[in-house]
Amino acid sequence: MSATTTTTSTPSIPQWDGSSMFHQIRVLTGRSLRALVTDPGVVLFGLLQPVIVLFMLTQVFSKMGPPPHFPAGISYLDFVLPAVLIDNAVQSAVQSGVGLVEDLKNGIVARLRSLPIVPSSLLIARSIANLVRSAVQAVIILVLAVTVLGYSPHGGLAQVAASVGLTLFISWSLGWAFIAAGAWLRRAEPMQNLAIIAVLPMMFASSAYIPIADLPAWLGAVARVNPLTYAINATRALALGIPGAGDVLPALLFGGIIAAAGATLAVYGFRRPM
Amino acid sequence: MTRLTAPPPSEVMIEAHEVSKVYGTVRALDSVSISARRGTVLALLGHNGAGKTTLVGILTAALPPTSGRAAVAGFDVASRPREIRQRIGLTGQFASVDGQLSGRENLVLLARLLGAGRKAARARADELLELFALGEVATRRAQTYSGGLRRRLDLAASLVGHPEVIFLDEPTTGLDPSSRINLWEIVEGLVAEGTTVLLTTQYLDEADRLADSITVLSSGAVIASGTAAELKASVGQRTVTVTLDGADDPALAVAALREAAMEPVTGRQDGAIVIPIAASRDIAAVVRALDNVGIEAAELSFGEPSLDDVYLTLAEQPARLASPSLALGATV
Ligand SMILES: Nc1ncnc2c1ncn2[C@@H]1O[C@H](COP(=O)(O)OP(=O)(O)OP(=O)(O)O)[C@@H](O)[C@H]1O
Ligand SMILES: [Mg+2]
Repeated sequence: MSATTTTTSTPSIPQWDGSSMFHQIRVLTGRSLRALVTDPGVVLFGLLQPVIVLFMLTQVFSKMGPPPHFPAGISYLDFVLPAVLIDNAVQSAVQSGVGLVEDLKNGIVARLRSLPIVPSSLLIARSIANLVRSAVQAVIILVLAVTVLGYSPHGGLAQVAASVGLTLFISWSLGWAFIAAGAWLRRAEPMQNLAIIAVLPMMFASSAYIPIADLPAWLGAVARVNPLTYAINATRALALGIPGAGDVLPALLFGGIIAAAGATLAVYGFRRPM
Repeated sequence: MTRLTAPPPSEVMIEAHEVSKVYGTVRALDSVSISARRGTVLALLGHNGAGKTTLVGILTAALPPTSGRAAVAGFDVASRPREIRQRIGLTGQFASVDGQLSGRENLVLLARLLGAGRKAARARADELLELFALGEVATRRAQTYSGGLRRRLDLAASLVGHPEVIFLDEPTTGLDPSSRINLWEIVEGLVAEGTTVLLTTQYLDEADRLADSITVLSSGAVIASGTAAELKASVGQRTVTVTLDGADDPALAVAALREAAMEPVTGRQDGAIVIPIAASRDIAAVVRALDNVGIEAAELSFGEPSLDDVYLTLAEQPARLASPSLALGATV
């Protein structure tokens, strides 16, 4: 190696003046999204669970016939798809927390801490990347459902768009909860465990896969207080054009509270020295 | 985000004043004071756990000190962390690059975050890739790099923003000899252009070659500081180095030497005993003392103290510092 130090920095070379938070967020979001392009496996893997659930449940229920309290005139596919999109939203939210833990582990956070950038930029970038990823996966699920399974909800295009929009809002707000968990736990395993122990039962103890009235009594009781039930009822009502749009407001409120609390906790957790 | 006027040359660029850091019951730093002027290299020398990384953390505004005051480029670490981050480059003890990105992408990302436009960022990245001989692996993901390549990328990353003050925490650990020398030359080049460097190391040749002044830390306390020459002088002008036959008991030899009012130092890798002496005729006293307990040195040499001897004398035996000849804490 030759040592031509003539090209190195000198204080006389004008130094860059730093960048705005907006710019930092943009650059860091680009970095987080890069994996979606360079490593499509990330998206495929994220799609795995929701898509398997979608295909399995539609198969099972087309054989068994709908449960007793099933809304009339609606196919099981139409019923379950909004819930599958919520499942996808939750999985993606978990991944945003895991992504933050990976950043903490591989040292890039240590490097960024020594730079004059706003620490929350990285958190916000993670959150936006989660949103984009969630949206890409939702579109793929929708396309699969329409082309392969023949999904055609009654609500119409505008209503479905509103439903997906609400789903993405839920994904974004839950993303903050998991980013906060990542900032405090700083390890990937407890995050993955949290995803399995908390998320899976939360989905089943809700109105996601069968109507609450058809759940065993105790599960129904849990489902009635499960915030995910509101989110699922709301997105389902929008997509199918059935009554239940009254759950939209609670779902928005729930999302807003989670996002605010998660973001606050995340900033505090992230601030702690390594 | 205007850069305030930098301190004029000859200004103190790194300063710690009675800095202490306590982790629970561990006193990682105990009233440490250091200072370095613009364009100089300060080396922090110390064992594992001496507190080097902790001090770097405090000076880079990443860790709050428990007590004491520290400033970099004239800005207090507690109240002006932002101004400090605009002026420093940090290469931590553990490589901190994004393994998912290529070497080039890592450098471009950092330059962009520091405010460079796309073109300027790419130009800066290429400049640094060339400087650190990373051109061939520039487009490979950093996670596929060998340890030494990663280290070099990490060093390059800390220089992206043309920092005025650079902190290098054990920068040459894991580098092969030619990369070490390359790094030394790069550091020398930066210093010649006015950059201030704080370097932690366990390699004495590194401190000897690069540092204008050396601070020796032991268990969180400064046990000596000065130039390499001053430190060497502090151990006594001359030393006798005795290598024992494998069969002889070093403890017996040490006891015999102490008996003869000498202050033998052990702990060297090769097992040799180093005895500071005042005059050359004391060599005979060493031989006599060993002879008294029936030990004959397998090898006996006489010479100027090396920095190794200084390090061992000061760091291994803090109790000896009570002797006035070694109290040189204030010679910087
Ligand atoms: N976060 C922490 N919590 C508790 N103790 C800590 C923490 N960080 C460091 N210490 C302790 O503080 C002391 C100084 O540690 P430090 O990492 O600064 O040493 P060092 O000189 O850099 O060592 P090395 O050569 O091994 O890198 C050690 O006793 C260490 O165990
Ligand atoms: Mg260390």
